[in-house]
Amino acid sequence: MASVSIDNPIDETTERRSKPARLAPNYWPFVMPALLVVSAVIVFPWLFTLWMSVNSWTLGQPRTFIGFANYLRLAQDMRFWESLWHTTTYTVLSVVLPLFFGTLAALVFDAKFPLRGFLRGIFVMPMMATPVAVALVWTMMFHPQLGVLNYLLSLVGIGPQEWIYNQTAVIPSLVLVETWQWTPLVMLIVLGGLAAVPREPYESAEIDGATAWQKFRYLTVPMIAPFLMIAVIIRSIDAIKSFDIIYAMTQGGPGTASETINIYLYNTAFAYYDIGYGSAMAVVFFLIIIALSFVLLMVRARANWSDMEER
Amino acid sequence: MATVNIQNIQKNYGAVKVIHGIDIDIADGEFVALVGPSGCGKSTLLRMIAGLEEVTGGAIRIGPREVSHLPARDRDIAMVFQNYALYPHMTVADNMGFALKLKKADPAEIRTKVQRAAGILGLEKLLDRYPRQLSGGQRQRVAMGRAIVRDPQVFLFDEPLSNLDAKLRVQMRGEIKTMHQRIGTTTIYVTHDQVEAMTMADKIVVLHDGHIEQIGAPLELYDRPSNLFVAGFIGSPAMNFIDGRIEEGAFRTKKGLILPLPQGVAAAGGRDLVYGVRPEHIRAATHGIEGRATLVEGTGSEIYAKLDARGEEIACLFRERLDVRFGDTVSIDIDPARIHLFDKQTGLRL
Ligand SMILES: Nc1ncnc2c1ncn2[C@@H]1O[C@H](COP(=O)(O)OP(=O)(O)OP(=O)(O)O)[C@@H](O)[C@H]1O
Ligand SMILES: [Mg+2]
Repeated sequence: MASVSIDNPIDETTERRSKPARLAPNYWPFVMPALLVVSAVIVFPWLFTLWMSVNSWTLGQPRTFIGFANYLRLAQDMRFWESLWHTTTYTVLSVVLPLFFGTLAALVFDAKFPLRGFLRGIFVMPMMATPVAVALVWTMMFHPQLGVLNYLLSLVGIGPQEWIYNQTAVIPSLVLVETWQWTPLVMLIVLGGLAAVPREPYESAEIDGATAWQKFRYLTVPMIAPFLMIAVIIRSIDAIKSFDIIYAMTQGGPGTASETINIYLYNTAFAYYDIGYGSAMAVVFFLIIIALSFVLLMVRARANWSDMEER
Repeated sequence: MATVNIQNIQKNYGAVKVIHGIDIDIADGEFVALVGPSGCGKSTLLRMIAGLEEVTGGAIRIGPREVSHLPARDRDIAMVFQNYALYPHMTVADNMGFALKLKKADPAEIRTKVQRAAGILGLEKLLDRYPRQLSGGQRQRVAMGRAIVRDPQVFLFDEPLSNLDAKLRVQMRGEIKTMHQRIGTTTIYVTHDQVEAMTMADKIVVLHDGHIEQIGAPLELYDRPSNLFVAGFIGSPAMNFIDGRIEEGAFRTKKGLILPLPQGVAAAGGRDLVYGVRPEHIRAATHGIEGRATLVEGTGSEIYAKLDARGEEIACLFRERLDVRFGDTVSIDIDPARIHLFDKQTGLRL
C-alpha cells in the first residue's frame, strides 16, 4: 500500500477528490424507487386525508371546501368526546391489567418447577389466536343465558351478569378479553427482562440484609423497568388502535357504550359515508397517538438504567 | 467486630465432596488470608461463612452466636465479591447506602456514613456516578465502601483484586491493609495470589482440595512449611525440590549430586527424602556446586537463573549483578541453615 502511493501520488489524490463528484449523479436512480414507494403509500394518503378533512364530502354527493368546519364540528360533537373517553378507559385498563398479570406470570414462570416449559406453552396460546376467532369464542362465553361465564358464576353463587350486553359492563368485559389475549405477550417480554437481570446483585443484597420483598422492590423492579416500559409502549399503541375485537363483539354497542374513536371513525366514514368528517377525526386521532408515543418514549428513556449516560 | 470460629465444616455438592471438615479459629480483629490453588474450595468456604451456601456439616460461630443455618442477612457480615456485584441501577452513593436504607436508617445518617466511607476510599467525586461509568479500580473501591458503611462484625473478601492490573493491585493491597489497621474489623480474605496473602495477612490458611494444609503467620509458613504442598505454594519463585537420600552425613541424589545439610539430621538416613531450598537462599560462590545455566532472566534488581547440576534442575535468584549467560557454568553455595527436608512418602516436614 505505502509503496503504491509513493510511486503514484498524483493519481491517488486526483482519484480521491473526484470520487464523490462522480458518484453524485449516479445516486438518484438508486434512491428513486424507495422514494416513490414511500411517497405513494405513506405521504400521499396522508396528504389526501388532510385534504379531505377540510372538505365536506359525503360519498355520492359533490365535494366542497369548508376549511376547518369539520374540526369545529368535532369539538362540539358529544359523541366524539364520549368515544374519546371510552378509548381512554379502554386503553388504560388494557395496558395496566395485562402488565400486572403478565409480570406476575413472568415471575411465576421464571422460577423452576416441573412441566414449566409445557405450561408456559399453554399460557402463551391466546396470543396466537386471531382476534375474530377470539371475539367469537368470547361472545359465546359472555352470552347471558347460554354462556359458560354465567354458569361458572352460578357455581360460586353469583347471579347472572349481562357482560357485553350491559352499558356499564361492556368496556370492562372487552378489557377482559384483551387482557386474556395479551397478558402472555407481556409475560414473554418480562421473562426476557428477568433473564437479562444479573444475578450477582441479589447476593450482595442478601448480604446487605434485604428480605425477599425488598430484593423484588429495590432490585428486580428497577432492573426490569426498561422491559416493562417496552411492554407498556407496545400495549398502549396496540390498545389505543384496537378495533377488531370491539367491532366483532359489540360494534360499539350497546348503544354507543363501547364506541371508541376508532369505531366512531369507522362508522362515520364507512357507515354514514361522511368521508370529510371521518378524515378530520382520523387526523385528530393520529395527533393523539403521536403525542402518546412521544410521552411514552420520554418515559422510557428515563427508565433505562443500562443506558444512564444519555441522561 | 467478632471472633469467627469454624468447626469441622463440610460441603458436598451432591456426591461431590468439596470441603472435607475444616477447623479455623479467628481472633477478634485478625486479618486471615485463605489461599490455595484454583478449585480448592476457597470461595465455597467463604460463601458458607457468608450464608450464601448451605453447610453440609459442622458449625460456624460469629462471636458467641452460632450462625450455620441463619440466612445471610442475619449474620451481620459484609462481603466484597470478585466481580464486585454492584447494583447497576443505583448511583455510587445509593450502592453504598443500600444496606442502611434497608434497615430504615435516617437519610441524614446514611448520607454522613456514605460521605465518611467515600472519604476513606477517595470516592467523594464519584458519588453520583453509576457503576458502568467507573473504572475497575473505582468499582472495587465502591464494593469496599459498601462493606465499610455497614460497620459489620466481619469483612469477607473474595479475590477482590484479581480483576485489576498489576499496579492498581499493589496500590489497593496497601489501601485494604491500611483500612484494616484503621478500622480493625475481623477480615477473611480469599486470594490465590500468595504475595497478597503474605503482605496483608496476620494469619494464612493454606487450602488444598478442601483440606487445610497449614495455618500460620506468613513468615512461619515461609520459614517452616509443614509439608511439600505448602513449601511449593508459598514463596515466589517456587522452592526447588530435589529427590535423594542422606548417606554418610550428606544429601546425595541418584545421579550423585551432593548437597549440604545442617547439623544433626543424619538420623533421617535410609529413606527417600525431598530436599527443598528456595531460589533466594542460593548464592553465587567462587567454588561450590557447579551447574550450567539453562535459563537466565534479569530484571535489573535480580537475576533468575536455572542451572543444570548433574542432571538436577536448580532455580536460583541472585540479588547481585552477575555476568551469567546461557550455557555458562556457575558455582553456587547453599546455606544449610535454610534448607528444608521432607519425607518423600508422606510429604511431611522432617
Ligand atoms: N454448584 C456446584 N456444584 C458442584 N460443584 C461445585 C459447585 N460450586 C463449586 N463446585 C466445585 O467446588 C470446588 C471448589 O470451588 P470454589 O469455587 O470454592 O473454588 P475456589 O477455591 O474459589 O477456586 P478459584 O480460585 O478458581 O476461585 C471446585 O472443584 C468446583 O468445581
Ligand atoms: Mg473462587
